[in-house]
Amino acid sequence: MKKQWLSLSILILTFIFLLGPFLILFISAFGSESTIIFPPKKFSIFWFQKVLNMHMFQNAFKTSVFLATASTFVALIIGVPAAYASNRFSYWGKETLNLFFTSPIIVPGLIIGFSLLRFFVLFGNFSIFLGLFIGHTIILLPYIIRVVSASLSNFDTSIEEAAVSLGASRLKTFFLVVLPNVRSGVTAAFILAFITSLNDVPVSLFLSGPGVAPLPIQMLTYMEYYFDPTITALSTILIVFTIFIVQVAEKTLGLSGFLSGRRNEIS
Amino acid sequence: MKKFVSMRSWLLVFPAFLFLVLFFLIPLLYIFVESFISKGGFSFFHYQETFSDSAFRTIYFRSIKISFLVTLLAVALGYPSALVIAKMRPNKRAFIMSLIILTLMVNSVARTFAWFVIMGRFGLINQFLSSLSIINHPVKILFTEQAIIIGLLQLFFPLMVLPLVSALENLPAGVEEAARSLGASKSKAFFRIVFPLSTEGLVLGGTLVFTGSITAYTTPAILGGNKVLMLSTLLYQKSMVLFDWGGATVVSIVMLLTTIALNRALHQFKPKYS
Repeated sequence: MKKQWLSLSILILTFIFLLGPFLILFISAFGSESTIIFPPKKFSIFWFQKVLNMHMFQNAFKTSVFLATASTFVALIIGVPAAYASNRFSYWGKETLNLFFTSPIIVPGLIIGFSLLRFFVLFGNFSIFLGLFIGHTIILLPYIIRVVSASLSNFDTSIEEAAVSLGASRLKTFFLVVLPNVRSGVTAAFILAFITSLNDVPVSLFLSGPGVAPLPIQMLTYMEYYFDPTITALSTILIVFTIFIVQVAEKTLGLSGFLSGRRNEIS
Repeated sequence: MKKFVSMRSWLLVFPAFLFLVLFFLIPLLYIFVESFISKGGFSFFHYQETFSDSAFRTIYFRSIKISFLVTLLAVALGYPSALVIAKMRPNKRAFIMSLIILTLMVNSVARTFAWFVIMGRFGLINQFLSSLSIINHPVKILFTEQAIIIGLLQLFFPLMVLPLVSALENLPAGVEEAARSLGASKSKAFFRIVFPLSTEGLVLGGTLVFTGSITAYTTPAILGGNKVLMLSTLLYQKSMVLFDWGGATVVSIVMLLTTIALNRALHQFKPKYS
């Protein structure tokens, strides 16, 4: 019984360690001072108003959302067929290919970004956004393939065969029978990939440039020059935004089921 | 016919394959080759220069030390926590798990910045210590190795707990009690029954935390600054500040090989039975 007590107190302390910083961040974001002080002497929403009106962050947010949408869509378009083929057919080099498709998870994001930067420089002038978009698509692809594969393998193949034997073409079967049945898996993959892209720092770090930077990179750049509660307020907004997305996803899809064993590119 | 099916499957796989070859594999090979090129020819110059630099060696071993300590602390905090979580009732466990997953979903810049508020000159810790008159001047907590370790631990702790919980909750109900009722002591039941069955989660969690820590950028950049460099911040400095591309490619190859070696090495500890 005594051991249980020890474990329980470690759990509680761990949770204070894990969640406490968020709470402190929230409270200090409502301060009115121009330096970050905890606890604030007076409360206001001044910094929230300020950060929401800063063009720098407005642009970065737009870049982030546009980037996440584009790269997630393209990763889905090339990832879903690959996941489908590896689930349903056997072909030459399948094992090696599956390993290759997951390899961007093992390679550090920082190095993916760095190598892309060096590679693009070979071609002289290249669009910064295009670089970011390619980098993000690379890291999203393994998640898409893994999550969609998992939900395809749970789907009964005999339904598909029934459609084919009744005369539907393979393509028609895929769109009318398979896809609607793995809808929740594809949606979960979309949301996971979207959040991964929004949060990414390592891949974007080397690929961002003047004027075109996703939000996390813009925040890091800002912090190099200024130390005021702007970032505190922005972080609070982002955390609330994430809680909202995760809650919606959890309620509609049971997102946590798709997350086991996931290597997150959070750094 | 079979050949036709194989061709068609290849058509489905081909776009993803081509994309990764062009934009993932070739650029990686490119920086690998670039690291061996100096003054237009093949040479080990960049490697010699990097390895003979004592600052690089310090940073390399510091990165390994910090990542190792973070992993160790994550196990020390994560294992007891996972034991408690795995024994909870399902709805309570689901709530705790969703809280842990939520922290994982939050932007790392926001998460790391929270520590800035706590560790800064006028942060929580300094205010607390000076209000108790323990200190007269703010103590320096930011830009130290300890600050990085604390930040990384909070960032990656979920990656240790999640695999551990899923390993421990797969433990068949009653095995521990069975061992106990057959006469095993409590510690013997734990080390002979529970622990071996959880090694898979431990290895996976350890791999994720270790490789995550050694490649993380945000935390060492914010909490370590220019004072306490890690491999990731060194890579950034060499390339984007000093434009020493040769040195930067060497740092990135070293980082990549270290990560892969760690992955391989920890893989050896995976239980063979499953």
